[in-house]
Amino acid sequence: MDLKEIKADQVLDTRGLTCPMPMLKTKKTLKGLSAGQILEVIGDDPGSKNDIPDFAKKNNNEFLGFYDDDGGMTHYFIKKG
Amino acid sequence: MASDSFWSSAREETLKSYHALFDSEWPPWLAGILIAIIALMIFLWQSPWGIAAGYVNWGDWVYHFFGASKGHPPLFPWLHPISLSNVGIIMGAFASALMARQFKIRRAPRLEYGKGIVGGILMGTGAAMAKGCNVGGFYTAVAMFSGGGFAMMFGLAAGAWVGLKYLLWEMEHLPSKPVAAKPKKARKEGEGVDWEKVQPRIGLAVAAAVIIIFYLYGIVDKTQLGGWLFFGFLIGLIMHRSRFCFVRAFRCPFMTGEADMVKAVSLSLMIYIAGSAVIKWGYLQEPTMGIYHSFFLGSLIGGFIFGIGMLLSGGCASSTLWRVGEGQTKLMFTLVSFAMADATAGRIFRATGISKWLGKDIFLPDVFSWPLTMPLITVFFLMWVLAAVWNEKTEKFVVF
Repeated sequence: MDLKEIKADQVLDTRGLTCPMPMLKTKKTLKGLSAGQILEVIGDDPGSKNDIPDFAKKNNNEFLGFYDDDGGMTHYFIKKG
Repeated sequence: MASDSFWSSAREETLKSYHALFDSEWPPWLAGILIAIIALMIFLWQSPWGIAAGYVNWGDWVYHFFGASKGHPPLFPWLHPISLSNVGIIMGAFASALMARQFKIRRAPRLEYGKGIVGGILMGTGAAMAKGCNVGGFYTAVAMFSGGGFAMMFGLAAGAWVGLKYLLWEMEHLPSKPVAAKPKKARKEGEGVDWEKVQPRIGLAVAAAVIIIFYLYGIVDKTQLGGWLFFGFLIGLIMHRSRFCFVRAFRCPFMTGEADMVKAVSLSLMIYIAGSAVIKWGYLQEPTMGIYHSFFLGSLIGGFIFGIGMLLSGGCASSTLWRVGEGQTKLMFTLVSFAMADATAGRIFRATGISKWLGKDIFLPDVFSWPLTMPLITVFFLMWVLAAVWNEKTEKFVVF
C-alpha cells in the first residue's frame, strides 16, 4: 500500500513538539476515533520513530507505516482497532 | 564483484559497522549496560559521576561575573571535573547526531519554551534540595548505597505523576500552534554544500577533537581532568544513540504503561551497584565516598520537585544535555534556567539554614551491613521491574 495515497480520517500535527507531547497527543486523538478509522501523525521528533510505531501496535491498533517527506517531517499512519 | 584486497574488505566492513552503529538506534538495555560500565570507570578514575554540580559551577560563574559572589572565584569550567564531563556529554550527542545525519536546530512552539524554562527552574531547585539530580542524586547515589538515592527515587516517581497530570490538563486547555515547517530548498547538483554528506564528517571531526583535547590535558599534567571530558563524551554518544532517558523510566508507566526504560535503568543500576560494591567493599575507593545527600526529606521533596520539572521540560539533567547536543533549542533554555536555579537555591538553602532541616545522608551498609544490603537492593530493583511489567499488561497505574 502506498502510504502517500492514504486518506486519513484525522490528521494530528505535532511539528516542533518533542517527547512526550507527540505520544500524549497521539494517544488522546486515537481515543476519539472509532474502529477502522485512520490517524495520520505529522512530526519531526527523532524519538517518535521508535515510540509511535511501538505504541501504535498496542491495544489492537494497526500501524500502517511511516514515510519522510521532503520538508524533514515524518508522517505516521495508525488504524484504530 | 567486490575486490578481494585487504583494503576493500576493510572498507566494506567499516561501512557496514558504521551503518549498524550510527544509522540504527541502539536498544536501551544495551545502553544501560554500557553507561553502568562507564560510570564505574569514572568512579575508579577519580570520584562518582554526577551532572548537577557542573550546572552549579556554570551558575556560580554567572554570579561571580556580576560580582555577587564573595571570596574566591569558582573553579574554571574547564578545570571542574563535572562541568567537563557535561561538556563531553553535549559533544558526544552532537557527534552522534551528526554521524546519524540527524543534527538540526530544532525550534518548538512558544509554550514549549516556557515549559522548558519553568522545568529547568524546578529541576534546579529540586537538585539543590536533594544535593543531586537524577544522576548524582538518584542513579549514582543508589549505586553508592546512599539512603538519599532511594528517597529521591520515590520523590521522582511522585513528581512524574503530578507532571504528567499537568501535561494532560494542558493538552485540554492550552492549545499550542505547531511550528510551521520551513520548506527545504532543493539543492541543485554541484552547487552549495550537501549537508547530508558533510554531517558525518563533522561528527568524526568532533570525536577526533575530543580525543586530541584529552591528550592535551595529559600534556599539561591534567590527565585525570581530561578523562572526565572523554568519559562524558562516551556517555553522550551512548545516550543519544539509544535516546536513553531517565524521565521515561518514571513517566511511561503512568503514560503508556511501557516498561522498557524501567528495565533498562534497573539493569544498569544492578551492574553499577555490583561494581560499586566491589570497589567500596574492597576499599579500592573510600566506602563512604558519594554519601552526602539529604536523607530523607531533602531527597524526597527535592526529587518530587525535580520530577515535576523533568516532565515539563521533557528532559532530566542528563537528557537535557544530549538533547542540547542534538540541536533542541527548548532544552537550551532549560539548561540555563536549571544552572541558575540550582546555584541560586543552593545559596538560599545554605544562607537560611534550611539545609540542616533537609536531613543527613545514611550509608546503607552501616545500617544493614554489607551482606544484607546487597540482596535487599537486588530484590528492590527486581520488584520495580516486575511491578512495571505487570503494569504494562494491566495498565493499573496508567492515568489516562
